[in-house]
Amino acid sequence: MAPRTIAPFGPQHPVLPEPIQLKITYEDEKVVDVLPAIGYGHRGIEKACELNEYPKNIYLCERICGICSCIHGITYCEVVERLWPVEIPPRAKFLRTIWSEMSRTHSHLLWLGLLADAFGFESMFMQFWRIREKVLDLLEMTAGQRVTQSISVIGGVRRDLNGEQKKKCIEVLKEVRKESEALIGVLANDYTVKARTVGKGVLSKDQAIALGCAGPTLRASGVCEDCRMQKYQAYGDLEFEPIVETAGDSYARAVVRARETLQAIDLQLEALGKLPAGDINVSVKGNPPANEAIFRSEQPRGEVFYYAKGNGTRNLERLRVRTPTYANIPSLLVMLPGCELADVPIIALSIDPCISCTER
Amino acid sequence: MPLMLPTIVRNLFGGPATRLYPFQVRDSFARARGHVEFDDNKCTLCGNCARRCPAAAIEINKEKKELTFFPARCIICEVCAEACRRDAITVEVKWRSPFYTKPVEVHQPKGKEKAS
Repeated sequence: MAPRTIAPFGPQHPVLPEPIQLKITYEDEKVVDVLPAIGYGHRGIEKACELNEYPKNIYLCERICGICSCIHGITYCEVVERLWPVEIPPRAKFLRTIWSEMSRTHSHLLWLGLLADAFGFESMFMQFWRIREKVLDLLEMTAGQRVTQSISVIGGVRRDLNGEQKKKCIEVLKEVRKESEALIGVLANDYTVKARTVGKGVLSKDQAIALGCAGPTLRASGVCEDCRMQKYQAYGDLEFEPIVETAGDSYARAVVRARETLQAIDLQLEALGKLPAGDINVSVKGNPPANEAIFRSEQPRGEVFYYAKGNGTRNLERLRVRTPTYANIPSLLVMLPGCELADVPIIALSIDPCISCTER
Repeated sequence: MPLMLPTIVRNLFGGPATRLYPFQVRDSFARARGHVEFDDNKCTLCGNCARRCPAAAIEINKEKKELTFFPARCIICEVCAEACRRDAITVEVKWRSPFYTKPVEVHQPKGKEKAS
């Protein structure tokens, strides 16, 4: 029997944008065991939210994560609106959907670039990020900033889209779709990509359900589960079908995200076309009553769950956030054992780990 | 790799995708949030901005008649500008240049409350 060695993968590693450690036990070049260790990025945001006032928490929740900041802010507003409850205008619902899908587009393009970088396809990485810049410019043009958009408020949104911006969005999104489609074609069919991803890190449907996975990781294993199926915000008025693949390997996870990128652009175009006229927010004054509420929404990485408990004062009594990566980390315990050591970066990246979300 | 060839050829003849920064600077978007400016002639030290600022970047001292702004704490969320009833706070599109020491801006506003 070959001697067993334990090697730390992370917390600082070239493929990991954020700190997580995987203690990998291997024999020769085969991984036999893995132990994830988290706790490098905890900031106590849930507790800080309890000490902060309701409207100020939006900006704090947006800083849980840089990439999904927009959806965190929107989900916080949605859960707090349910404490009263407050009904927001239809235009605000559509605008929230548009910005959510825009942030999904840039998140998936970022991940596709990171994946290409992880298996050494540098030029594809650059191309994906070059397309992503256009989406970030759209976010800056419409919301005011590239990353932390701060567009959601309790009762609606802060900014409206004027005719010129809408026209520009449609024009750029069509361009982004065309360019992404061409590049995704390369990603899905190139033999070097397939050689590094097909059959790597297989997660079966039963395992995905048993481990409670979320988002594209779950859908790539053949489970049709997406929070957008609840038809919250404007999703009820848009044509939405979850994207599901059945193979459960790293390639399937990449394909799900690639197809979701195109779907997110289509949803934005559809929502921009159907954008109803009217107000963008309703005035919400005072403190919410003593009540509790939950809200689930679909982040780029999967389901994010918010629980809020108010006590009638200007502070929350409790805020609980469950993020998708926390649900997806256990899947690494199934995916990694048996794989080659060289495949660990790609498999670890294939769950799209977002550690700042996980630890908050 | 063969599938990537059209993109490679296009890029070869397509010119650079980047700018020669800082000689070529991209124009800011009209509604971009760059940095916050205070108009001392309009501010009446009412304190609306300081109460709503999520980052505690504004402090008001009514006794000294001073408004202290900490740009390094500011997250440019535009809440102060929305809260100001006198339009004394504006959000400019240009970013501040990076700083080595955390600056502190002390304003002594001259605006007067309207007689009620």
